[in-house]
Amino acid sequence: MALLASVWGCSNDAPRHRAPAPGPAAFATEIHVSERLTSIETGEETTVGTAGRVACATCHDVVDTGARAKKPEELEAFHRGLQVTHGNLACTSCHATGDPTALHLATGEMLAMSEALRLCSQCHGPQRTSFDHNAHGGLNGHWDLSRGPRLKNHCVDCHDPHAPAIGQVVPVLEPKDRGGQVEGKH
Amino acid sequence: MNEKKLSYPGFLWKILGAATDGSVRFYLWMTVLTAIAVVGASAWAYQVRDGMALTGMSDHVSWGLYIANFTFGVGLAAGAVMMVIPAYLYDDEEMHEVVIVGELLAIASILVCILFVTVDLGRPDRFWHLIPGIGRFNWPISMLSWDIIVLSGYLLINLHITGYLLYTRYRGQKPNSSWYVPFVFLSVVWAISIHSVTAFLYSGLGGRPFWNSALLAPRFIVTAFVTGPAFVIVLLQLIRRLTRAKIPDGPIQTLTRVLKITILANLFMFASEAFTALYSGGSHAAALRYSLVGLHGSTILVPWVWTALGCNVVSALLLLFVRPEARWLNLACGLSFLGVWIEKGMGLIIPGFIPSTLHEIVEYAPSLTEWRISAGIWAVGLLVLTVGIKVVLAVLDGRLDATADHS
Amino acid sequence: MERRVALKVVGATLGASAFAAAMKPLAEWAETLTAEQFLQKHFKELEPEELARVLERIEEDARAKYGRTDVTVRADAPMEGVEFGYALNLSVCIGCRKCAEACHRENNHDRASDNSYIRVLEMDQGSLDLEHGNAHYDHPVPAPGKFYMPIQCQQCRNAPCVKVCPVQATWQEEDGIVVVDYDWCIGCRYCEAACPYHARRFNWQAPTIPADELNPDQGYLSNRVRPQGVMEKCTFCLHRTRRGQVPACLEACPTGARVFGNLRDPNSDIRWVLANKRVFVLKEELGTKPRFYYYFDG
Repeated sequence: MALLASVWGCSNDAPRHRAPAPGPAAFATEIHVSERLTSIETGEETTVGTAGRVACATCHDVVDTGARAKKPEELEAFHRGLQVTHGNLACTSCHATGDPTALHLATGEMLAMSEALRLCSQCHGPQRTSFDHNAHGGLNGHWDLSRGPRLKNHCVDCHDPHAPAIGQVVPVLEPKDRGGQVEGKH
Repeated sequence: MNEKKLSYPGFLWKILGAATDGSVRFYLWMTVLTAIAVVGASAWAYQVRDGMALTGMSDHVSWGLYIANFTFGVGLAAGAVMMVIPAYLYDDEEMHEVVIVGELLAIASILVCILFVTVDLGRPDRFWHLIPGIGRFNWPISMLSWDIIVLSGYLLINLHITGYLLYTRYRGQKPNSSWYVPFVFLSVVWAISIHSVTAFLYSGLGGRPFWNSALLAPRFIVTAFVTGPAFVIVLLQLIRRLTRAKIPDGPIQTLTRVLKITILANLFMFASEAFTALYSGGSHAAALRYSLVGLHGSTILVPWVWTALGCNVVSALLLLFVRPEARWLNLACGLSFLGVWIEKGMGLIIPGFIPSTLHEIVEYAPSLTEWRISAGIWAVGLLVLTVGIKVVLAVLDGRLDATADHS
Repeated sequence: MERRVALKVVGATLGASAFAAAMKPLAEWAETLTAEQFLQKHFKELEPEELARVLERIEEDARAKYGRTDVTVRADAPMEGVEFGYALNLSVCIGCRKCAEACHRENNHDRASDNSYIRVLEMDQGSLDLEHGNAHYDHPVPAPGKFYMPIQCQQCRNAPCVKVCPVQATWQEEDGIVVVDYDWCIGCRYCEAACPYHARRFNWQAPTIPADELNPDQGYLSNRVRPQGVMEKCTFCLHRTRRGQVPACLEACPTGARVFGNLRDPNSDIRWVLANKRVFVLKEELGTKPRFYYYFDG
């Protein structure tokens, strides 16, 4: 055995300490507050070239905008051209009647727009459960909450509530292989 | 008696003299080989400085011409001591006299193998990491560690046997059989082991189904006993033609008989592998299909593999059915040597990597650097073999003799 | 006789000088190697002071070479009670390869070859046969009828690469990550032949990275700039994960297909995935026992 150890070299190993085990969680998991919850795109550019956004409150705190429309086609004044491709939902499925900046659950319970996550979860339970276990939607930061915080996306950061399906993207960094290459499928 | 001539350094000095004495033809041969060796050395120097990007290898096909030649070279080294078996185990007197030629071939081949592995290393400066005690040698788990041990041991055994026999003959003494006969028997067993261990290097990899075959080690041994005898048959005739040495017919006939059997055994083993893979089908047969008919349009290896098969089949037919005249015999030897070189070299290594472990096809062709270095190494092997034979013949002839008075 | 000897001497001199000329590139290369580097011990044998000196030397060399004063090279030890696991949701991966790109940046890969430890295969729905996978798609993703499978080092519990290395340059650490000592590897590439997952990469030439793209937070066993002629592989970003952070590939994933954590913590995300999803591993029949799990939702 000693011979094996000397051949192998592990008898020369320097003693190695281990770093301490993860401690109790000291940092929080933060969910990003999306600007989509409080403003809407105008479709025009600002003077500095960014996409223009206007806060919901700009109009909805001032004017009586009681939700009369059931479908986007019925909108007469603002938000015309809004595409809704979210199953068979009507406007009032989610938006409260009388105050479109507020939401409501299927039970009738009212929700502030900042609690939109609970509304999404009502129908999309499995995704919410995955989200709670950091298995949906992405994550920045730490797996070990004793060392640092983590930041997660809000549902609406990726999914536009009116057209939630995620579109296609162009992939990056196609592999460059040395040597001959067979085109197409292998 | 001049003390100086009897001593070992004296012996070595005289060897140097004998090794560099010869005809114009000899000098021409040695000069050409040296030139090729220097070209190879230069190419290797660039490879070390600029990286192995100078080769055609990639992360998909990460072993190529060097390891192909290494694998073939180990077989040649193992097969070279084929002659020992009839000489010592069957007491073939005539074979005794020419066994030393086989030993010399074994030494030259092992040297070639060591060089091929060295040029294949990304960091040859770190060779000392392999030395047990100073480095960290992964024995007994890594098959490569076993390979290093058995190859080094084989070289030492053959150096000892050859050196001892030559030195005693030089001193005009009768060799003491207990100093070399046990080593001779050991070399037979050891020859089997060097090539089995090399085969286990490949067959132990579960992720490479083309190599992960129980038949790989037996096939290696059989093809070793094709290339060794084939080379020696031609070599003995060359020695007969180019020197004054008298080579009896017996050894050549014995080796021819061995070759007839082993070449058929190799063809049978190939048929067995082909049937097993192709009948059941599926993706584990993809590598074999790639070699034989190409895969998804990649066919670069197909002509090579069929050439090898053709060489082996024609060689077998020549040996079986044609009268044993020298030219047919030599043709058969040349064809079988080439056939096994392709089959065990590129025909074994490349399909192990194509398709890759993710079933992708990235083809490989050796670069000019690889060809140059490989040619250089074979040139070095031939240089060592030529010098070895020259010295051995001089000693056995009596021209290189401590007891005689030379001016 | 005299003439013969004279000719031999001339011949030998010519041969020797030809050989010396041929060896010039080797001499140039040898100049870049210091005696200290040549004699450096295996990582496991370095005493703390020796390790500190080695790290300092590597930092100085990197700072000088790239003109960056912010380069740090650490050798974080594995944490007690931690064994890493990684899971990948095949229902959610869209094949954008942002993970491969993040790996390329984080790990200071050679820019010319677009090297990355992650390779994404576009697969046909209904089949896990890798033979029909394609790594060279360049159309918008996800394409209909396809799913995407990123493959990287599986940090196998029974790793073939660890078994075959003749000099023990690669080994499994206590937290499960299989690492390579880049200063010990001899570049024989046996591990690359042995790996069933195409996870290992070789430095066919010295990597080139523009100085402003260099990631200065480096680990000795992970993303420091590797020398020519040695092997490397995914290390689950141990210079990040041993400090409690998630790997770079996970951060880059826009859909959240990647889940990482401590397998020994029963409340970790990775344990939740293993308990609640239909999980499998690649090439299970080879007995490599990977730590990288694949799953589908629902």
